[in-house]
Order: sequence, then C-alpha cells, then structure tokens
Amino acid sequence: MSVKTEVKNDLTVCCVEGEIDINTAPDIKKAFEKLISKKTPKIVINLTRVTYVDSSGLATLVEILKNMKAYGGRMRLSNMSHKIKSLFEITKLEKLFEIIADEAEAISTFI
Amino acid sequence: MLSLDRSESLMNRQSDTGKLSVKIPSEIKHIRGVSSGILKWLEPRKLDDSRLFDIRLCVEEVLRNAIMHGNDNDKELIVRISYWLEGDSLVIEVEDQGKGFDAGKVPDPTIDKNLMKGSGRGVYLVRKLTDKMEFNDKGNRVRLTKYLK
Repeated sequence: MSVKTEVKNDLTVCCVEGEIDINTAPDIKKAFEKLISKKTPKIVINLTRVTYVDSSGLATLVEILKNMKAYGGRMRLSNMSHKIKSLFEITKLEKLFEIIADEAEAISTFI
Repeated sequence: MLSLDRSESLMNRQSDTGKLSVKIPSEIKHIRGVSSGILKWLEPRKLDDSRLFDIRLCVEEVLRNAIMHGNDNDKELIVRISYWLEGDSLVIEVEDQGKGFDAGKVPDPTIDKNLMKGSGRGVYLVRKLTDKMEFNDKGNRVRLTKYLK
C-alpha cells in the first residue's frame, strides 16, 4: 500500500494504491496524520488504484473524515471501483462521504 | 490449550465427506493465507471478480471476528475453518474457542447515529454479501452460504 500526495492550489490530492484493510490500516492512518495535523482544509482521496477494502478499511476512512471534520476540513473520495462503491452503499457510508466519480470533477467542483 | 506448528496450521485437510478444513492460531497474519487458499480452490469454477471479492471479504471478516473477538487474540487458541460445495453453493464454517457472542446484539451500523462509529460493519457486510449466515447457539461457530451461479 502507498499514498502519493500532491498539492493542487488550495487542496491536496492523495492517490492510494493497494488494499485498505486490517493489514494496511495503520499505514494509511499514519500517512494522513501529517495532513490532519497541518489542518489541511480540503483533501481528495483518489481510489483508482485501490483493489480491496474491508470493514477495517472503511473504519479507517471514517476516522480520517472524523478527524478532518473536527477542525472544519473536508474530504472527497473519487475514482472508486464499482465494487468498492457498493460497500459504501451497503453500509450507508455514502451518506457520510462526498463520493465523486473522477478526480478532475472532485477538484473542479470542490468549493 | 492447543498449540500448532506452522506447517500443520496452514495445511488443508480433506475429510471423507469432501469438506476441506484448516486450523490456524489466533493471529491476524494467517487470515490472508486462508482466504487465498479458498479462492485458489475455487479457480476451476471461474467465478467473476465481484463474487470472488465478496467471498474473500466474508472469509476475512469472519476470521477476524473469530480471532479478535472470539479467541481474544490468544495465540494458544485456534480457529477452525471448513469449506465445501453443496450443489451450486459454497459453504464456509468458522469456529473459534471463545465464549461465543450474540450476533443479534451487534448494533445496526447503518443508522445515522452509528455511521461515524469505527466498528460494527464486519458482521453486517457478511450478512449482506452472503445468502445465509447462521450461528450456533453458543455463538462461536458461524456458517456462511454463498450461491455461486
């Protein structure tokens, strides 16, 4: 698993590659801790290269969102595979997250 | 207490009834090996990626529950996994050596007040992604049935 971060104007795009599950959750949390400690206002997490997410992975994303909301930050998820999106639908997490089809749209409409 | 060496723990055994079974110590690091073994065993069925994803997720979620909540991460306790085909369905049974738990008491993770919670989605996902999820009375053995066609 890896997280590549790129700053684009006032927002930060994070491309996650690999699996987000119980094994990688600690590394994912660590990768986002730095951005959260700096109170990064807007983050787009591009999931195009994420092949697998389990309940621990979902919980990790919820925790990152919760930590961002604590200081008024906002997070968007983009480029989710159909399968991973279905997990967000089943668990109703789609109500919690801003899920955008692709990164360009997530950036251009992120006001 | 039963302690297993690694070679025994990761070995698949086939019973006379065609059931395959494997025992693992209660350590998260063994989960991936079990799910990979089941998916490899299913390869001749040429299942689509979506079904394989569901099977992997369900196996890993119930194993994690068995290890962390059932056996309380006690490496001396084992988790037994059995799997077999019944007609066009895959059946997977996972049993831990813990006191058992009441799946009915797991709060619904999809109601608004629980959405931000960090846990509780595993059992819910497994129930949604399988065709049947049954527990024994004690609550330390779960049987999943997943239709494959």
